[in-house]
Amino acid sequence: MTDERVTQLPTPVWRRDFPYEAASEEEVTRREFARYLVLGAGTIAVANVGIAVWTQLRTINTGEPRALVALTDVAIGEPFLFRYPNKNDPAILVRLADREVVAFSQKCTHLGCVVYFEAGQDRWHCPCHEGNFEARTGRVISGPPTRPLGRIDVEIRDDGQIWALGKPQ
Amino acid sequence: MRASDRRRKTSSTVVLYVIILVAFQLFLVTVAMEAFQTDAESLAWATAAVSVVLAGAAAAFLRYLRP
Repeated sequence: MTDERVTQLPTPVWRRDFPYEAASEEEVTRREFARYLVLGAGTIAVANVGIAVWTQLRTINTGEPRALVALTDVAIGEPFLFRYPNKNDPAILVRLADREVVAFSQKCTHLGCVVYFEAGQDRWHCPCHEGNFEARTGRVISGPPTRPLGRIDVEIRDDGQIWALGKPQ
Repeated sequence: MRASDRRRKTSSTVVLYVIILVAFQLFLVTVAMEAFQTDAESLAWATAAVSVVLAGAAAAFLRYLRP
């Protein structure tokens, strides 16, 4: 007789009630389970790196320079909505003075809600969580955002058009 | 405590650690998505770095599992 003894565990109640077994039920060991988990962790890590790369590449102030609108079509104190650098990026510009125009991403830097220009307050306002940004610089005045609005460089050219300048990627 | 019990307890602990690391990784996905939505590049890269370190740690824990 050997010293090896087989420990016989009592059959659980649920097994007696549901005496069905899948073919592969006993095949996943603890180590295999841990391997699957590690594989999942690796996949998530790769996904997070991918998101970081994507975030880096879609910086708002990049893209091809292009004309947005004629200066005469935008009244002083009035905003103009456009999309830049691509059609998925809502942006907004406002004519602050006769020859002064500023443009920003319309996405609030808190949680991505859309910001609006409040001419009376001379600020950008996010209605979701009451975030406010300076009209000229986009810097945070109040509210939960901690970073300024994404600025888009614009200029008024001799042909009277407002151009988004962007930067080469 | 017998050696086999100790090994079993160790492997259970390792699996528990790995589960915790994966749960934290899922949380990091939400952080990365928020960084993506708000164009916070530095936050996105920091999240990615932590995520890679956690994945490496989870892989390192596998060494402590008996074959």
